[in-house]
Parts: sequence; C-alpha cells; structure tokens
Amino acid sequence: MLNVLMLGVGQCGNRILDAINKESFGGGGASRLAKYCMRPKFPSRVETLAVNTAVNDLKELRFTTAKDRLHVPNLHGVGANRNVGKQAFMDNRDMIMGEIEKRGDFDVAFVITSTSGGTGSSFSPLLINELKRQYPRITVITVAVLPFREEGSIYLQNAAFSMRELMEVDAEGIILADNQYMKRYSGDIASAYDKINNMIAQRLLFLIESLDSEMLSVTDLGDFKTVMNGGLRIGTMGFYQADGKNPSVKDAIENSLKPGNLLYPANVSEDAARAMIIIQGSREHLDVDQITKEVEKLSASAGHVFKGIVIKKGYPKVLSVFTMASAPELESIYAQAARGMQDEKEKRSRSRKQLDDAFAHIEDLEEIY
Amino acid sequence: MQASKLGKNTPINPSDLQDDVICKRRWSGLRRLTYLTIFVLLIQAFYFGAVYAKETKETNDNQVTYTDFTLNIGDRIDIGDYQVELIDIQSLKDGIALMQVSKVGGALDEQRAFLENHANNLEGGSENNGITITVTDIPDDQSAKVRIEYQEGLGTPRRHASERPVAPPDKPILSVQESFDRNQMNVGDEVKVTIAVKNIGTGQALDIKAEDTPPLPEFSYIAGYPPKIKETLDPGESDSAVYLMSAVKEGSIRVPAIQVSYTDAKKNARSNNSEPFNVLINPKSKANLAIELTSPGPIPLGGKGVMNVSLSNMGTATATRIELAGEIRPPEGLEVTGLDRSFFEILPEKRVNYSAVLSGKSPGNYTVRLKASFDGGDGAMIQEGTTEVVVLEQEYKYQYLLLIIPIIVIIAWMYRRYKEYKY
Repeated sequence: MLNVLMLGVGQCGNRILDAINKESFGGGGASRLAKYCMRPKFPSRVETLAVNTAVNDLKELRFTTAKDRLHVPNLHGVGANRNVGKQAFMDNRDMIMGEIEKRGDFDVAFVITSTSGGTGSSFSPLLINELKRQYPRITVITVAVLPFREEGSIYLQNAAFSMRELMEVDAEGIILADNQYMKRYSGDIASAYDKINNMIAQRLLFLIESLDSEMLSVTDLGDFKTVMNGGLRIGTMGFYQADGKNPSVKDAIENSLKPGNLLYPANVSEDAARAMIIIQGSREHLDVDQITKEVEKLSASAGHVFKGIVIKKGYPKVLSVFTMASAPELESIYAQAARGMQDEKEKRSRSRKQLDDAFAHIEDLEEIY
Repeated sequence: MQASKLGKNTPINPSDLQDDVICKRRWSGLRRLTYLTIFVLLIQAFYFGAVYAKETKETNDNQVTYTDFTLNIGDRIDIGDYQVELIDIQSLKDGIALMQVSKVGGALDEQRAFLENHANNLEGGSENNGITITVTDIPDDQSAKVRIEYQEGLGTPRRHASERPVAPPDKPILSVQESFDRNQMNVGDEVKVTIAVKNIGTGQALDIKAEDTPPLPEFSYIAGYPPKIKETLDPGESDSAVYLMSAVKEGSIRVPAIQVSYTDAKKNARSNNSEPFNVLINPKSKANLAIELTSPGPIPLGGKGVMNVSLSNMGTATATRIELAGEIRPPEGLEVTGLDRSFFEILPEKRVNYSAVLSGKSPGNYTVRLKASFDGGDGAMIQEGTTEVVVLEQEYKYQYLLLIIPIIVIIAWMYRRYKEYKY
C-alpha cells in the first residue's frame, strides 16, 4: 500500500486539497453531509495537510479535518508578497515540518499549490526542498496551478518566479494545471474554480488508486517517477470516462489525450516526452489489442509510454499522464509576466516622477505658521 | 358576799330584808307537805304489790310448763317425785328411745319405749298433776332430746348426769376418697381411678356399697368398673377399688361424689360421700402442620422468583413421613422446581423452611398449592397451603431507549464529526 502525503499550500492548494477530501467521501452533492456519517475512503493511506498563513482561507475548508489544517502565524496572509511568504516559512519551518513528521513515513508526497498566490508560491519551493532534505527517499510531485492571466501582474510575476524556483528544486516533477485553460468549462470564475479543483482532485485520486492497484498490466510508482523525469519534468494529466453510448476503450484513450481533456494546454503528439496511460474498466470493455495499438501509436510520438490496466466494473476510464519536452504556453506566461513587470516598473517610475514633480513645487519653501 | 357586794355598791334597805325572811318561811312549809305525800304513796304501792304477788303465786302453782333436756344414755331427770332416765336408743332410724320412769315411793317404776315426737303421760299427764314426756329428737344412738311438761307446783326439774362410765359407741364411720391418677389428660389417654374406703369409726360397717353411678359419658370404661368394696369393714380397716377408663371427649369434667352406704351393727343405715373434683380432658395429641407460602411477588416474563415455604408444627405431636406435593393452576405458564419435598419428621413447635424457584413462561395469575400429607399421631393427615403468583406481561418500560439511544449516538457522532471538522 502506498503511503501518500498530500500538502495543500496556500488558498488554491487548500481548496484542491479540500476537493480531494470531498472526493474521498464519494464526491458530488451528497458528500456535503457525508462527512458527518462517513469515514473518508482513500485508495491508499493518504494523509492530508492544508497549510496557509491566512486563517480565513483555512476556515473556508469544509471537508478537511481541523487537525489537518495548519495555520502558519503571519497576521492575515502574506499579501501575495513572496518575500514575506518565504520569511514566514523560514520562521515557521520547524513547526510545519513537525506537523508533517507527525503523519509518519511516506512513499510519495504531492505538493499542491498555486504559482501565483503569496503563501503557496513562496512556501512550496522551500517546502519541497525541506521535504527532500528530510525525506530524500520519497517522491515529491508538485501540482502547480497557473493563474488566470487577467488576475494581475503580481500574480503573473509570482507565477513566473515561483515556476522557476519549482523547476530548480529537487522534486520528481511538476504537474501543471492552468486555470486560464480550464476556465472554458464554466461561465463564472467561482464555478470554474470548483470544477477545476474537482477535476484535479479526481485525477490525482485516480492516479493514486491506479498506482496502488493490482493491475493487469503493471505500472507503479517507479514508472510514474520515470515519466515525471522525462522532458522538462513538467507534465500534465488528461482524463476521459467512456459511457454507454461509446464504451470503446480506443476512443477513451484518444479522448483522454485530447487538449480539451487536459489540465494544461499541450499537444501530446508534438510536446510529450514520456507518457503513462492508466485504463480502468470492466474486462469486456477492455480490448487489449486496441489498447496496445493506441499505446503504440502514442509511443511513436512520445517516445515511451507506460500502460496500466485495472479491471474494475464500469465503462472504461483513462488517465493519461505525460511530461512535456516543450511548454510553449509557459513561455507565453513568462512573456506576459515580463511585460506586466515592465509595465509595473514603468508605472512606478512615472508615478515617482509625478510625485517628485509635485514635491518640486514646495522645494525651498518652509512651513509658515 | 352579797353584803360585801351591797356594801361596796348599794346601801341596804330594812324593808327589803324583812320581805326576804317571810318568803323563806313559806317555801319550807310547802316542801314538807310534798315529802309526806310521796311517802304515803310509796306505802300504798308496797301494800298492793304484796297482795298481787300472793294471788299470782297461787295461780302459777297450777300452771303447766315444760323444760327441754338433752340426755345421754344413763342421764336422769328429777322433778318432784318423778325420775326419768334414758336407758338406750333402741332405733335411731325409727326414733325409739327406751327410758326408765319411776316415782319415789314405788308407785311407778317401769321401762317404756318412747316413740319420737309422741307424748307419753305419766299419772294423767301434766294437766292432771302428773308429767308428760316427749322424745323430741334422737340425734344419734347415744342421746335424745326430751321435753318434760309439768305443773309448776312440782318444782323445777333437774338433770343428773350418769355416774356410769360412758361406753364408747360402736359407731362405724367410713371415709371415702376417689382419685384419678392425673388431673389433666388428653383424649385417648387412659386414666386409673382409685376409690379408697376406710372405716375410721369404732364400729363395724356392714353392707358397704359404693355407688359410683352413673358412668361418666366423657370416658369409656375399660376394666374394673363398677368398683367393688368389701361389704364389711372393721374399725380401722380399709379397702380400695381401682378401675381403668379412657378419655373420649375433651372438656372440663366435674367428677361427682361417690356415695358409700353402710349400716352399723344396729342396722342403722349410714352413708358418706367423697369430695367431688374436676379433671381436664384436652384434645387428643396430634400434629398440626401449618404451611406458609411466601409469594415472590410479580415475576417478569422469562424471569425467575424464589418462593419460600415454611412448615410449622403447631400441634402437640410429631409429624412424621411428611410428603409435600406442589400443584400449579393453571398448569402451563409457570414452572416450579424444588417445591416437592419429603421430610422424615417435624417435632412439635418446630419449623422447617425451604425454597422453590419459579420461572415465568407466560403472563398471568397462578395459584400455587402445596399439599402436605403426613402422619400426625392420629393417623394420616393432610394440610394445604396456597399462594398467588403473578407473571407480568412483557415490559416495554425502556423501549423508548431503543429510539433515543441511537439518536443520541448519532447526534454525539455528528457533533464529534462537527468538532472534528470545525476550525
């Protein structure tokens, strides 16, 4: 059995973690009261911990137990200031690591965070470093969420610097999710957040369940690490669930790789470096030949593809995880961030000049009473 | 004093002093006349008294009077020239006394038999200057009461006691005593009755008969009845008779006196009685088992209760071979174990306790009857005791807890989960 630690850092990470806990009660609307009468049911031994400097963000969580909410005392958040966030982490590092240590030994840790916020973007690189330092044998996967582009220049700036730091740390890889990309699923921001959070939670739990299941064709944590080490060590996940109208596993695999079902905009045939396809479904729906053909097709472009097949009642469900050899969208983000920062810098210069001009009016004058 | 008094207070008047002397002289003459009159009257009274006494004496000398005497044999009465001596009591029963009647000068000297309460006139009787003798009573064979009637002119009769030694009378006296060998007995007990007769007199008792009749209905006579006593008992001699009887009826019995009749040597019939007395006949000694069943109270359905059984021998005999058999009505729905027992004996005023276990199988009212058969000293006896036992309906007293407890548990669970998730 896998021992999994899931850390939700910052507001975004906390909410995704809360969605994961909600999924552990079965998901959907019924789970709102399920926490009063059911025990969370994870596929493996999963320990969760929500870390935040803003206590209000922790209070908003609904499915995460109080003991799994760790408030890092720094007034009311770090105000999207990564420097303040880093200082707050360093000031409370022992407390944070002590809470993690209480949760025992782990095989894999998922650090779920937004790249744009204050706490998540500043804590996560430092936290990953500490995890790898204290637990060098565990696999650390970062689940990083990119911001809406229109959220502001600071968020983009934070995303840019945070992503760079995340890529520099000694983690096994980054799974990207792009809010901007997934915003299309919903008209308003609030419901888009919920849907994005639920999608990420569902896919992560599916991944954990698959890695810890008896498979017809074996994939395990080692395979997953190998996939995540491919390319830029930046990957994403696609998911598709067939239905009665089209139970074809072949179509399910293809659909899971389509951009519309990915968490981050990518072209698998062009960008994928390594991939893992995990297929779950009833035996009668799992045509091995079709699966093999599809995997072979993917391998032609992605280089190496691990496949895992889990026999479980239901129509085929396919989770595709792949790392990318190139990430053009990231480049776009960095360019946008740079522009934003340049604009910010220029605005600040103009403001400074205006202020200096204003002050010039009273230069050489004294206060008269 | 007066002069002194006057001298002190008042001057003396000479005319007053003269009147006082004249008055004193008048009073002295009157007193002498009174004394003389009284003396004359007394002289007359003596004179007429003497004349009257003389006339009365002449009349009384011819008046008949009488005197009663009690004479023992040999005693004599002298009056005038007559002598009357009691010779013998010929028949106490018939009232005949023999007396010697004589007159100084030999004109009369004879023995006569006097019949009780019949007057005998001598020389014409008292009306004719003789005497009349009547034996008024013969209390025993040694004495008689005699009345002498005479004219007072004969003088006063005088009694002369006999100078002969009085021969002891040959008089038998039988003492009778009846006794039971116990004063209290139970029905069925045998009792020995002793009748003792002793001649404590000086004469021989003849024709002795003991009358112990009628038989007492409270007894059955077993042997020796009617009692037989010697027909003759010399002085000092005694005899007894014993008979055996059995008490058949309880109660306080008054045993009547036994009469012993006999005659003396002169065939005088005599009798004597024993003293009556009481005896108590108690009911026959037997065992009396009292059965006391103590109900255990309401028994819950499916539950058990303990019933205590107490056997007390309230009787006077030992109960033996006691067999106890229980019975439950209705027979279904209440099970009992340990109620049937047997005991070898229970002594009088002793108690035996034991317990039986009752198991309620179906609700209802049940009667537990315990029958004890035993030998109570008067044959086989049976005693019964009963008690009521209630088996309750199924209690649903705390059934609401079946609803409340899960609700409380759920609420507690939810509250715990709420606290678990409350931040």
